[in-house]
Amino acid sequence: MNLFRSEEHVGRWLGGRTPGQTITVSMLSELAHAWWGDRVSSEWRPRNREQNQAILDRLGLTDEFWQLP
Amino acid sequence: MNDADLHLRNSTYGLFVELGRAPTTEEVAITMGWTVVDVAAGWRRLHDTHALVLQEGVDEIRMANPFSAVPTAYRVNAAGRWWFANCAWDAFGILAALGVHGRIESSCPDCLDPILIEVKNEVPDQGELVFHCLVPARSWWDEIAFT
Repeated sequence: MNLFRSEEHVGRWLGGRTPGQTITVSMLSELAHAWWGDRVSSEWRPRNREQNQAILDRLGLTDEFWQLP
Repeated sequence: MNDADLHLRNSTYGLFVELGRAPTTEEVAITMGWTVVDVAAGWRRLHDTHALVLQEGVDEIRMANPFSAVPTAYRVNAAGRWWFANCAWDAFGILAALGVHGRIESSCPDCLDPILIEVKNEVPDQGELVFHCLVPARSWWDEIAFT
C-alpha cells in the first residue's frame, strides 16, 4: 500500500507484475478517516465485516478487489 | 472480543499514544493493574483477532494499526511527535486517529523522489499523487506485513 508520483510510476514499479488498484490521494485520506478515525478512542469497539465493507462501499470501492473475506 | 480484552486493547492503544511508541507488557500491566503474564496472553488473543500485531515469537507489539512500532517508509509528524505508519493508508490513518493536521513523509517506490504531504482538515496538499494497493482486500491479512 504505497504512494506514487503518478500512475506511470506505478506501472514502472510493477514491472510486469499484476497490478492492484489505484485511487487518488484525496480518496485515500477520506478512506483513512472513515476507517481509522475511531482507533484511539477509549470507547472503541471492533467493527464487523459488514461495517468495514460498508466503509469501502460508501467510497465507491465496490468491485471484487475491495471485497473483504 | 470480551470486555477484558477490549479493555486491554483500548488501554494499550491509549498508552501507545501517550508514550509515542509501543508500550511494553510491563508498562501495560502497571497501568491496568494486571500481571505481565495476563497482558501477554491478552495480546496474543488480540493478535489472533487482528486487533494488533505482535512481533514473531516475542510479546512485543509490531503494529497497533495504524501505528507501527518499527521504522517504516512512512513517517508522520503529528501532535508534536514523529510516528511510523505501516503503509500509506495508515499514514493518513494516524492523522485520522489522532484527529489532527500533520505532515506525511515518504518516497515514491519507483523513482525514490521524496514525497511530502501536508494534511489539513483531512485534505492533502499533493493532489496529483496516487495510492496503489497491490493486494486484494480478501488477502490483506494473509501476510499483513507485506500488505
